[in-house]
Amino acid sequence: MTEARTIRDAVEARLARRHRAERRFQLYGLGAIVLAVAFLVLLIGSILYQSVPAFTAHEVTLEVELDPALVDPRGDGSEASLRRGSYNTVIQNALQAQFPDVDERSELRELFGLYSAVNAARLLNTVVDQPELVGARYAFSFPISDDADLYLKGRTVDERRAAGDGMLTIIPSEADVTLRADSPAFQPFADAIRAEAAAWADAAEARAAASWRSAQETIDADTREVLEAEAERAGALAERLRSRLAPDQALVLDAQAPSFLVEADGGVFRVRQISADRTSALAETVIAPAGTGAAERWTAWVLETPAAARLITDRQLVWVRALADRGLIENRFNTRLFTNADSREPELAGVMGALTGSILTVLVTMLLAVPIGVGAAIYLEEFAPKNRLTQIIEVNINNLAAVPSIVFGLLGLAVFINAFGLPRSAPLVGGMVLALMTLPTVIISSRAALKAVPPSIREAALGVGASKTQAVFHHVLPLAAPGILTGSIIGLAQALGETAPLLMIGMVAFIADPPSLGFSGFTEPATVMPVQIFIWSSSAERAFEARTAAAILVLLGLMILFNAVAIYLRRRFERRW
Amino acid sequence: MQISVLVALTLLVLTAVGFLVGRRRALSAADGQPASLHSLPDYYGYYIALWTGAPALFLLAIYGIFGAALVNTLAFGQLERDAAPLIRGYEAALSQDADHQILSGRLDRLNDQIAGLRAELQGGTHSGDVEADVRRLSALTAERNQVQAGLAERRSEVASGIEARTPDTPAGRRALAGFEHWRATPERRELFIADARALAFDEGLASRDTPALRAAAAALQPVERLFQWSAAGAALALAVAGLAFARSRVSRRFRARDRVEGAISAVLLLASIIAILTTVGIVFSLLFESIRFFAAIDWRIHEFLFGTQWSPQIAIRADQVGQSGAFGAVPLFAGTALITLIAMAVAVPVGLFAAIYLSEYAGPGFRAWAKPALEILAGVPTVVYGFFALLTVGPALRDFALFLGYEDAVTQSALSAGLVMGVMIIPFVSSLSDDVINAVPQSLRDGAYAMGATKSETVRQVVLPAALPGIVGAVLLAVSRAVGETMIVVMAAGQGANLTANPLESVTTITVQIVMLLTGDQEFDSAKTLSAFALGLVLFVMTLMLNIIALRVVQRFRERYD
Amino acid sequence: MDLTAPDGAATLYHPTPAGLDPKVATREVSVTYGGKLALDRVTLNVPDRSVTACIGPSGCGKSTFLRCINRMNDTIDNAKVTGSIRIDDEEVNDRSVDPVVLRARVGMVFQKPNPFPKSIYDNIAYGPRIHGLASSREELDAIVETSLKKAGLWNEVADRLAQPGTSLSGGQQQRLVIARAIAVNPEVILMDEPCSALDPIATARIEELIDELRENYALVIVTHSMAQAARVSQMTAFFHLGALVEYGPTEEIFTNPLDQRTQDYITGRFG
Ligand SMILES: Nc1ncnc2c1ncn2[C@@H]1O[C@H](COP(=O)(O)OP(=O)(O)O)[C@@H](O)[C@H]1O
Ligand SMILES: [Mg+2]
Repeated sequence: MTEARTIRDAVEARLARRHRAERRFQLYGLGAIVLAVAFLVLLIGSILYQSVPAFTAHEVTLEVELDPALVDPRGDGSEASLRRGSYNTVIQNALQAQFPDVDERSELRELFGLYSAVNAARLLNTVVDQPELVGARYAFSFPISDDADLYLKGRTVDERRAAGDGMLTIIPSEADVTLRADSPAFQPFADAIRAEAAAWADAAEARAAASWRSAQETIDADTREVLEAEAERAGALAERLRSRLAPDQALVLDAQAPSFLVEADGGVFRVRQISADRTSALAETVIAPAGTGAAERWTAWVLETPAAARLITDRQLVWVRALADRGLIENRFNTRLFTNADSREPELAGVMGALTGSILTVLVTMLLAVPIGVGAAIYLEEFAPKNRLTQIIEVNINNLAAVPSIVFGLLGLAVFINAFGLPRSAPLVGGMVLALMTLPTVIISSRAALKAVPPSIREAALGVGASKTQAVFHHVLPLAAPGILTGSIIGLAQALGETAPLLMIGMVAFIADPPSLGFSGFTEPATVMPVQIFIWSSSAERAFEARTAAAILVLLGLMILFNAVAIYLRRRFERRW
Repeated sequence: MQISVLVALTLLVLTAVGFLVGRRRALSAADGQPASLHSLPDYYGYYIALWTGAPALFLLAIYGIFGAALVNTLAFGQLERDAAPLIRGYEAALSQDADHQILSGRLDRLNDQIAGLRAELQGGTHSGDVEADVRRLSALTAERNQVQAGLAERRSEVASGIEARTPDTPAGRRALAGFEHWRATPERRELFIADARALAFDEGLASRDTPALRAAAAALQPVERLFQWSAAGAALALAVAGLAFARSRVSRRFRARDRVEGAISAVLLLASIIAILTTVGIVFSLLFESIRFFAAIDWRIHEFLFGTQWSPQIAIRADQVGQSGAFGAVPLFAGTALITLIAMAVAVPVGLFAAIYLSEYAGPGFRAWAKPALEILAGVPTVVYGFFALLTVGPALRDFALFLGYEDAVTQSALSAGLVMGVMIIPFVSSLSDDVINAVPQSLRDGAYAMGATKSETVRQVVLPAALPGIVGAVLLAVSRAVGETMIVVMAAGQGANLTANPLESVTTITVQIVMLLTGDQEFDSAKTLSAFALGLVLFVMTLMLNIIALRVVQRFRERYD
Repeated sequence: MDLTAPDGAATLYHPTPAGLDPKVATREVSVTYGGKLALDRVTLNVPDRSVTACIGPSGCGKSTFLRCINRMNDTIDNAKVTGSIRIDDEEVNDRSVDPVVLRARVGMVFQKPNPFPKSIYDNIAYGPRIHGLASSREELDAIVETSLKKAGLWNEVADRLAQPGTSLSGGQQQRLVIARAIAVNPEVILMDEPCSALDPIATARIEELIDELRENYALVIVTHSMAQAARVSQMTAFFHLGALVEYGPTEEIFTNPLDQRTQDYITGRFG
């Protein structure tokens, strides 16, 4: 008993530590799951957040003047003539009518940069459909350029508006205007800029010093030279910034600095220089004021994001604001995202083409992989003699299931395209490649479903004199069908999300027209949803970011649909033996 | 198109007729006693339908695969015969052309010199200044390219002279078409044929439209029509013959069911053989193209496997062929290894702990939602992970690195690709480990609990050691997954072939390079394009070995506890 | 040892011989699995330094009863145990009792030998290690050696301690598992059909071992073999459909059963 006592003491002495280890271990496990789930939430959440701007689009509606001289050059109202019209000019005229004082070439280019000329094609089609419009005015809506759209959604430019102090006098001079306030009204803005520039100068100096130090420590001559050059550059920059910052000097605003706009008397001015005493500013007119002279009230409009850091210029931004204020811009649900095919202009790009391509491709995959896969599974599970060939096939299928998908792409390129001469970029070839890739999944899940049918069913069928084939096709296969279907659908969902092998067979091309949803569509060049996502994600335009996220949501929606069908089938027909 | 649709329809009808005939015939053979037949009447129908449809369809399939090539060969053979005078004139002109003579003489000499120098450099018997010789070699190669270009130019001048003299008559245009086809390099020839076919049969869009092409198209049309009709006729004849043959065999004792079932199992066997054919196709296409690649780099396979310089873009410049190091794949292997390592560092602990928690700790309620959540993670397409890595994880990591004072941080880094890939693989590891852990018999756990072990002690000291082989197998499969994963690395890891162990730098992997080499403009048969297949071969062999080992290990493990 | 059957639970108790002090005392122990009653108000005393056999047809709750004593039922999600179980007057089902400590005091041997996939040595050393019973390698060696000797396995495995436990024969494995259980020097040893997977010779050796272990421990064994129960046990409990039907000295139960069901069972009329 005493011995038992001491053992018990020994056990209890370690107990607390062991329980702590237990709790820690359990926490690790829980943490792992929480981590994985948190990542999933982050993934979906960030994509949802990024996709938001893609679902709406700002559209401009302008009264365009369908001047016969422009849209009907031959004057006979025939379709051929209407098709030769210069519709872009029509739109340009309408836009210019909004800002009559814009006349300089470069400024006009900026103005017309607010939309994509591709829109003219739609106007053309409208007029060809309704020739009676020629000579009339027509309210034409078109999406505004992606950069303007993002600006209006508040995604790219930080801006701030505040009422200005006191009176402002507008004095026109040659090309520019001078804005004179009765107090140092520009002081706060100048101070902010100077503070920021000073910070930059500090940073540049620090960088210069750091570079010098490491240059001193470097033995390698080349590296030292590079470092010294870097230090010199940074030093020069700091000096330049500082020299500009003397408090008693005029302040010049360049593209690296925040922009300063002044709204007064119905006009908008872009400040280029602030005088040394901070009471007046040299500015250029973006929108002409109603009259010239004094304004009681004026607004300081600061664009914190410097012009160099955004793709929309100050002027474009002012025009867009003006159009919006005039009620000509409306934020609508972006149907183009779902009805258009790909386009180089983000505002016109949609997923329709890729969606069609995906449907055609998965159709081919289904027609090939499911019958072949189920056939192979039936053979291996029900008919195959236990011999070497069968064994080789089985091992081979298991290994094939783990071959990287890109290798199937290489196979498709070498065999289907180069050897058989099938067309590149076609859903037919894509579907064939994906079918080979999906085959092992279908076979493995079909075999599992067949295996789950109890042998008693087969024995019963054979017992009443059915042949093996009849037993399998009349009794086993129908019972295994739900499982087979579920596995096949999951395999197809995988194929739907696959990208890499399709890049190999050229489905990465830019396709502006969706393939036709008919027989010939199978051999026309096409792309698929995941590849579209890949293409958009590597595009430079900011607006494609949101569209990529939206396309991802569409793809995920499709996959959820597939899986929901699979789950439904499993639940509906699930049978436990 | 119309003919083929017509033929297909007729075949369908014939097959249906065959079925009906078979049934009829069987019933009449049975003298009104269907039970006396060996098989059900339908089987006789299927039997005849099979004999009617299958051979004809097989013939049509053969025609579909080889028909176009045959038509092209015949039609262009005829055109080249029409062009014979032109070809003779061209060759005569060339043999009299002084410039051409001089240039080809120079080319021959240059080729000899280059071959000699190469042999000397490779033979190892070389004495003297190797570097100078290498420099001389590249100078010679450059010169040879110049001479070749000159020759090509001279030839096309001569050819255009001949072409200009050809009369613009239908016959002349045919001759021109044949001449152009004869003179074209293989790639140009394919394009020429494709364009001609496009013009002739509306197969897609032609890239050009010249009189010669029109003539070629006109020459193609009758041949094609002839073949189409004869193929259609042959198919229908075969169908009818099959029907008649099968019908003649039907009798009361005939074992139609056995025949039909034999055909069914043959088809099923064929379906399973497709899996083997796929593997064979992969192995052969990769091997074949890789051999062409190795031939293009003069069989210096060791340089491909152990070289540390990867710059296939430069390597296609002619004067650099033969320069060493451009196809050294070590940076790719290192990048793949680095990213795989990072991914495994994420996926293995998290996946394993998740599996342990799910199978040993979690209640049924928790499992009911945690498992599907992990499955969703597995179902997300890789391109979505790539996007996430590129736009969210990459910038966040870069900013974090910058914040920590690491100034060279970039968005596309091994770390962000590896991390995201690791997350992608978590469900893979966890579901495989879950299976393995559940396969450990409960009696072992009971044994440990009965000794007074806590749950974690049981898991760590009994369950995990017992499951270890299975878990190793799972990890190997996960590694093979990571090695072969493409989209995440293409989008998030970068393209520069850096040989570095720094996870904050961008690296490239085997799969990224395959994608880079095979997307965008590519010329067939260049070493650059072919190298993708060699990389594919390496990838395939690597993953195959991992899979075989992993499947073996897992199978052994399962056998032990069954 | 005096007992009273709870109302409605018709247990027949034989008078207990003198000289046996109770080690484990259960009072109205019931177990349900997911609401399904598997053990119905079992009340009995297990004497120290003797062997108590539990017999009864399959599924009557013998294993369930055994698993209550070291709270192995805790590891089954839907199992619910009520009633009182005391070991040396200490309530087992009390919240304050740590199953880890309890199981160190109550060893268990299962129907199928379940050596860990480790060496023979590590199998025996497992308990002492997790519970921190040995402060040095020598001490651990000594524990391993004594345990193996007590289990009568030492002579057979002394020269291959590093080999995996699974490499032994079935009977050896079962003795290894017994040695593993006694390595932590428990007070009670539970054995659930320890011989059902073994051949007669191996069975005989285990029975011998059980008889030796009786000197130091309280043993409770479940067995399907009447003969085995008669050979090795001093007390016998007969279970039927989850209830304890009859309990008393083995001789009494076998020669003079009070209940018809007991009589039917031991004479082999059902089982
Ligand atoms: N883990 C469990 N879950 C549900 N029911 C169980 C479980 N274990 C045992 N049972 C049920 O409890 C009853 C008693 O089982 P058990 O104690 O194992 O019987 P014995 O060991 O006497 O053969 C049986 O009806 C059995 O089906
Ligand atoms: Mg039992």
